[in-house]
Amino acid sequence: MKVITKGNLLSWLRQLSQKYTVIAPVTSAEVTLYEPVSNSEIEKINLNFPNTDLSPKNWFFPPSETLFTIVKNEIPKIIPASAGHEAVLFGLHPCDAKGIALIDKAFLAEPADVFYKEKRDKTTLVGLACSTPCLECFCTSVNGGPADPTHLDILLTETTEERYIMYIVTERGGQLLTDAPMQEAEVTSPVPPILNIVPTEGITEIMPRVFNDSYWDRVADRCIHCNICAYVCPCCYCFDIRDYVSKEKIERVRSWESCQSPGFSRIAGGYDPRSTKGTRLRQRWYHKLLYFPERFGDVKCTGCGRCVRSCPVNIDIREIITDVQRMRA
Amino acid sequence: MINEIRNKVKELLETKRVECVIGYERATDNLTARPVFIYEPSQVDRLIFDETCVHNLSKYLLNRKDKPTGIVTKPCDSRGINLLLNESQLHRENLFIIGVVCSGVKKVRFNRIEDSLPTKCQYCPQHTPPLYDFLIGEPVTETSPRNYADVIKIEEMTSKERKMFWSGHFDRCIRCYGCRQACVGCYCYECFVDELDPLWVGIRIAPDENWVWNIGRAFHLSARCIACNECERVCPVNIPLMLINRKLEKDTLRLFEFEPGVNAEVIPPFATFKKEENLGVSE
Amino acid sequence: MALVYEPKIVGFLCNWCSYAGADLAGTSRITYPANLRITRVPCSGRVDPLFVVKAFQLGVDGVLIAGCHPGDCHYTEGNYHTRRRFALLHPFLEYLGIEKERFRLEWVSASEGKRFSELVSDFTENLKRLGTRET
Repeated sequence: MKVITKGNLLSWLRQLSQKYTVIAPVTSAEVTLYEPVSNSEIEKINLNFPNTDLSPKNWFFPPSETLFTIVKNEIPKIIPASAGHEAVLFGLHPCDAKGIALIDKAFLAEPADVFYKEKRDKTTLVGLACSTPCLECFCTSVNGGPADPTHLDILLTETTEERYIMYIVTERGGQLLTDAPMQEAEVTSPVPPILNIVPTEGITEIMPRVFNDSYWDRVADRCIHCNICAYVCPCCYCFDIRDYVSKEKIERVRSWESCQSPGFSRIAGGYDPRSTKGTRLRQRWYHKLLYFPERFGDVKCTGCGRCVRSCPVNIDIREIITDVQRMRA
Repeated sequence: MINEIRNKVKELLETKRVECVIGYERATDNLTARPVFIYEPSQVDRLIFDETCVHNLSKYLLNRKDKPTGIVTKPCDSRGINLLLNESQLHRENLFIIGVVCSGVKKVRFNRIEDSLPTKCQYCPQHTPPLYDFLIGEPVTETSPRNYADVIKIEEMTSKERKMFWSGHFDRCIRCYGCRQACVGCYCYECFVDELDPLWVGIRIAPDENWVWNIGRAFHLSARCIACNECERVCPVNIPLMLINRKLEKDTLRLFEFEPGVNAEVIPPFATFKKEENLGVSE
Repeated sequence: MALVYEPKIVGFLCNWCSYAGADLAGTSRITYPANLRITRVPCSGRVDPLFVVKAFQLGVDGVLIAGCHPGDCHYTEGNYHTRRRFALLHPFLEYLGIEKERFRLEWVSASEGKRFSELVSDFTENLKRLGTRET
């Protein structure tokens, strides 16, 4: 199998960064985020992280982007958002790759979201298998796994002696690896770690039965509607679009939003179908565990554990799934 | 201590003095805590109280304004209740406050407890809650001396260093508004960022907009922030928000000798004026 | 011809005293730098701190708030509130990267046309010396 040393990996990335935009996990101010890394900054890449604080969906679906600008001339001129650059998204774990694949189901369905699609088509995904998952991780309970190569172009698995096994998943990945300083070697693949199990079996069938239970109000009692769960999630994708008008131009801007915000579903006239805390909280779980799977076939969760870690009041999807299973019994 | 709390809560619910008591229970990681709403006397054994109980529960009272509610509070949290009472957001007769004398909490993020004090405990001015109906623990009267070393460090930077310091932090802001949602002083039905005309801050996330958001929010909390640290704790990208609020706290103390949240009856400095005062402003 | 840095100053002048004072400077034909763009407000107490923050976000080099002298406010007490707000906002903005020379509060009465023009000249000179916002 193909193997690369850590030193060679970094020099390969340095070489790539001359032709591609390399986005990799970088730690600063105690926060690990995916950031564009230039040629001279390759050493900043963090390869030993349990998981990043924000997911890599930021690259394809940024927190805020200008969709187009209209310059108010005699004849108005429409300036589309700038075309993306060829890029390599490096270091993502299989759960995050699955997150991107889940967003693909919504954003690439016809008619595809052009802004997302353009970046997606121009980016190669080089993943890193999980060796030390977090306590909150449960990817194996949602059709994933710490060494799952699906949805990636290349999967790197760290072995002993700071070497990585390079598994080429797609042709696109193979093309990226021409001229990469790899060697052929026989190494034992490390055993993937075992994760805690969450009882997700049949959850989609059970959800409709507990829709009216007061359980959702009880959980929502402590929810502060901070939006953090949706923003750190690798597969949440709600957004808001507004036009900003100035003397010279009009810009159409798209930014992240979350169904947890009070007023998210308020419509003209002031009516809000989800005006209570309970209905808003319930919407999140129903989208993830019922509506999305009904439409696209997969539960909308990758088991990455970020929402569990970052919820200020410990609203825990694993606990909710367990409770729902118990409720129907 | 915990048994005293549980017994009191049980009594309050059984005598129907309150319909619900807000307290702390163990989180799913079995290490940290999370808020809990106890409606039945049989549930009181869920309650805990230790140094992982970092949350400020007083904001939940705003969801239950007209319902009799009990609450377990640390000194910083009861300053929050004083703030809400001061601003006529709550009815005192609907509240039953179980105050707990506190010796500090730990710096906590889910399943990670750092053995260090969060900012609010490092500079805590009072260990006994200023407002309570029932006190747990022996009241402590001495207060720690005021210390603003963290603020002074920034004040002593050059203008350029300060600009770089703040832009380094505000660049990470993703405008989740977690700080606003967690803050007890941020309860406006329509926040200034929701305002469309005039448009103070839109939905665009850019360094200059983030600057306006953070400064605007901090200034709306001047002489109101009770230093519960919740904004800094919930921030998913670790922005040192307390450094901003504490600067205003320091100046409010210096200029107006005013501490927010200590007294529910006092008129706050921005709601009043003095004809003659020396604030270091040009004459 | 090289472009000389001309600082942009935004001024919030209260209708009854300082705006009238600026007007007097104009009718008296006193020349003073044109860097100041004036917005008339009914009282200096109308000035929301967000006006100042927003002005700095949009890139102005200096902000001036001008009101009646304390004790002379047309609405009796508006300028007392302005004074308190400014006392807290000024060091706060300095803490957040806006140099203290960029933000001023002045009391200008309706008869102080000359003083107003001197004030604006002084402010403009200071800002020229300070340089642009990026420096």
